[in-house]
Amino acid sequence: MAERPLWRRWVHVFRRDPKSEVDDELRHHYEQRVADYVARGLDPESAHRAAVERLGDLTRVRNECASLLSGERRIHERRMRLSVSWLDIKLGVRMLVKYPGLSVVSVLGMAVAIAISAGYFAGYGAILDPALPLDDGDRVVGLHPGVSQSGSDSEVSVHDYVAWRDAMSTVRELGAFRSQRRNLITADGRTELIEVAAITASGFRVARVSPALGRPLLEEDERAGAAPVLVIAHEEWQRVFDGDPDILGQTVRLGETVRTVVGVMPEGFRFPVNHRYWVPLVLNAAIAQPSDGPALHVFGRLADGVTLERARAELATIGARMAAAFPATHEHFRPIVLPYAHLYRGYSALEAEPTIRAVRLALSLLLVIVALNVAILVYARTATRTGEIAVRSALGASRRRVVAQLFVEALVLSVAASAIGLTLAGIALRLMTDWIQRGGEMPFWIDLELRPGTILYVALLAIIAAAIVGVLPALKATGKRLQQGLQQFSSRGSAMQLGRTWSALIVLQVAGAVAALPAAILFAEETIWLGIRAPSPAAHGLLQSTLVMHREEIIDAADSTAEPAFRARFADRAAELIRRIEEQPEVAGITFADDFPGRESNATIEVEPDVAPAADTIGQRGPVFVEIRTSRVATNLFDVFRIPILAGRKFGPADTRAGATAIIVSATLAERIAGGASVLGRHIRYAERGENTQAGPWLEVGGVVPDFANDFTLNDDVVPRLFHAAAAGESHPATLIVRMRGGEAAPLATRLRNLAATVDPTLTLEDVETVIGAWQRDQQATGALGLMIVAVMLSVLLLSAAGIYALMSFTVARRRREIGIRSALGAEPHRIIMSVFARAGAQIGAGVLAGITLVAVLWALDGGRLEDEWVLLPGVAALMIIVGLLAALGPARRGLAVQPTEALREE
Amino acid sequence: MSDQAELLPGTLDLLILKAVSLGKLHGYGVLLRIEQISGGALQIQQGALYPALYRLEHQGLIESDWGVSENNRRAKYYRLTASGRRRLGEETASWNRLADAIARSLAATPQEL
Repeated sequence: MAERPLWRRWVHVFRRDPKSEVDDELRHHYEQRVADYVARGLDPESAHRAAVERLGDLTRVRNECASLLSGERRIHERRMRLSVSWLDIKLGVRMLVKYPGLSVVSVLGMAVAIAISAGYFAGYGAILDPALPLDDGDRVVGLHPGVSQSGSDSEVSVHDYVAWRDAMSTVRELGAFRSQRRNLITADGRTELIEVAAITASGFRVARVSPALGRPLLEEDERAGAAPVLVIAHEEWQRVFDGDPDILGQTVRLGETVRTVVGVMPEGFRFPVNHRYWVPLVLNAAIAQPSDGPALHVFGRLADGVTLERARAELATIGARMAAAFPATHEHFRPIVLPYAHLYRGYSALEAEPTIRAVRLALSLLLVIVALNVAILVYARTATRTGEIAVRSALGASRRRVVAQLFVEALVLSVAASAIGLTLAGIALRLMTDWIQRGGEMPFWIDLELRPGTILYVALLAIIAAAIVGVLPALKATGKRLQQGLQQFSSRGSAMQLGRTWSALIVLQVAGAVAALPAAILFAEETIWLGIRAPSPAAHGLLQSTLVMHREEIIDAADSTAEPAFRARFADRAAELIRRIEEQPEVAGITFADDFPGRESNATIEVEPDVAPAADTIGQRGPVFVEIRTSRVATNLFDVFRIPILAGRKFGPADTRAGATAIIVSATLAERIAGGASVLGRHIRYAERGENTQAGPWLEVGGVVPDFANDFTLNDDVVPRLFHAAAAGESHPATLIVRMRGGEAAPLATRLRNLAATVDPTLTLEDVETVIGAWQRDQQATGALGLMIVAVMLSVLLLSAAGIYALMSFTVARRRREIGIRSALGAEPHRIIMSVFARAGAQIGAGVLAGITLVAVLWALDGGRLEDEWVLLPGVAALMIIVGLLAALGPARRGLAVQPTEALREE
Repeated sequence: MSDQAELLPGTLDLLILKAVSLGKLHGYGVLLRIEQISGGALQIQQGALYPALYRLEHQGLIESDWGVSENNRRAKYYRLTASGRRRLGEETASWNRLADAIARSLAATPQEL
């Protein structure tokens, strides 16, 4: 059928009943015929009879025509319903373009909210509900101890693993693995630090993947005394061994052990976590006491026809039996079977799951709040369209139709916002993946991409947002006031009103902004400051790394000489390595510490000066009570870092002896201990904070250094620090810091790693990177976070301003006549302006007050810790008032411009 | 015998399409136009005309709207749609082929066999 002009489609809908239309047409025919006959000379009576006769069976004709006509109408309406939806979309796009300000504000506001929701959904979705990309992956399970035995989450002792393996019937191929870092030393002497999975042969059967070359690990390999073997990933075969076709049978050194390569796994195989090297898990059953031995991760496959619940029930029974048998170690033992990918998240994550899901819901609510704001704006726009809506309703469009059209218009807005939001979330996820992968690889089943699930979630959010943005205003606009809308259509006024709900929303929003902005501003300021801060010039040329010596054999806890022997060996090897590194031509200096300055993990310690009584404990707050960080550093650390000694002396060789008491303190700590006076020679002691307040020995302050840690590590707080002198290898693992003479860091890093392996094959230099590199990595992460906060903050401000603007321009439009009359009656402009501002002022004022009250309540709950926020509060309140008044300025000026005669004529 | 011809089944639609192709017409006008262009040879059953008009409109071959007739009465006017025009062309060609074939068949003489 040919395209008809748009208006004709609408006219069609309002046609009369088919029968009466047919009657009209037949009546016309009959009258024409009668007139013709009369014209030909028949008398009216005969003309009438002849005409009826010629028409034939009138009832049949009438029924047949009416039925055809109603059929035609039905088809037409169906067609129209379809074409109208398309029309609605076009209208929606037209609206988007017609009100660019409103569109930009709404789309950006919703886009930020959608980006945050989608990013969180995708990020945590990948962790919360992962799909294991293995054959029948959902039947692969992990066995979790329920409570931590080894101190490390989700790990199981050898004893328990063996007990489960022998007892479980619902889980087949029960296996275990543990991750180890090893030096890989190839035949040509290259050294590389790799992550090895020591895994039972069943692991390959659970994964259901066969090697591309050779064989997988077998049970025979796990026997004590079996020849050491190794299976490698396809990628490593290509990268390290240049895809050598004769790889099988070749030997490589992994730490102390020379292993024969027996298999190459196909491309992409990373089971159990993200491994590329697999060695047999050799367990010494003799040391398998309930809590001894290395910690293992246990996995398996559900037996055929067994549900997860049945496996859980069986493991729970076994767990209860073991708890009864070993009350000392297993009393709180509640082992549980989990989907494999969940095992890796650990037990704490399992407990945090409801929280994570709640946060996800809360983030979706963020969009609801933004959408409500946008709804206010759209409502104000809808108010200007009451006339159009009234005309359409009068022409027969149902309320449902009008609401549907406004919904589709809102959907166009929210879909545009979703597209931007998804793009932003995609970029953020890619950045996050890069960032995570710099610190090591992610488990093979975690994919931080925008998956179909996320897109579906965003689609749902878009529909919810459109429902709020479109349907709420539409329902109000098509309510009982519509009749008035039609009446006032000609006078260009608007009968719609912004009721209490909308005013309350604006008050709430200003309150929310006032309450949340100070904290956000402080946080943003902090991150921005961190984001632009430059490290100390002395940080350039420094290379940091962690020195670890790996235990090749499983240590028997019963052997009391094993640990001291290991320590002694490490001290010896570390000293040797440091000596050899010093000899390198590119190395200007080398130093070490237990932790890199600024990254010390021991956090809170109490200090007491020597004026305190000679008690054994530090229990009460003494004259000086500070939280400090302590570290043990090489005597030359300050030289290598180019840190001047502000007072006193440097560390000397004598300070590393056992029982030495000299310490060096940071300027902040010196200030805290001695005030302005000299701290040198003062005695202090400290204790770990917490229940164990046993005091350490008395120490004597020998020197003072500046607070330099934050110039080398991206931190924001200046924490008082205390340094002990340490000998090489005293702490394990140790941080080694090398000052280069210039040149590239990467080749030197490789050489240092090789050097470590030469000194001892079990000695590894891990996470080698320049201090500047680490600084920049931290800065990037902080910058991204800061950017996100600023984006949210700006969208809150933008939406508040837009909401107030919409409200004000709406009010002015409604009071046009009144303003006109008042100025005709001689009211002064400033009075009129004041009356326009009064409403905005009242709402902003109420919002600011509510916000301040909220902060005060939080302040009271937090025990008065929000001092910084208090300082910012007046500023933020003023800002909101300015934003609000600026938003009201345009409408107020428009109000003044109303010509009295014009306003009156509109009546 | 009168000089009026019997309307062949299926030809009414074709005639209506032809009539409205010459200009928009109300129902009675369609009737008169067919009589006029057939030189009065074709008389339309009025009981068949209106169902045929509604059917053609239903098929999208013609469309209608209400207007005012020459004697100032409300009347429903029909006109050809684009698809109606296409159909008219096809039907006319097909009719001409058929008529030609029948005419040739009927004119055949023993000599031509």
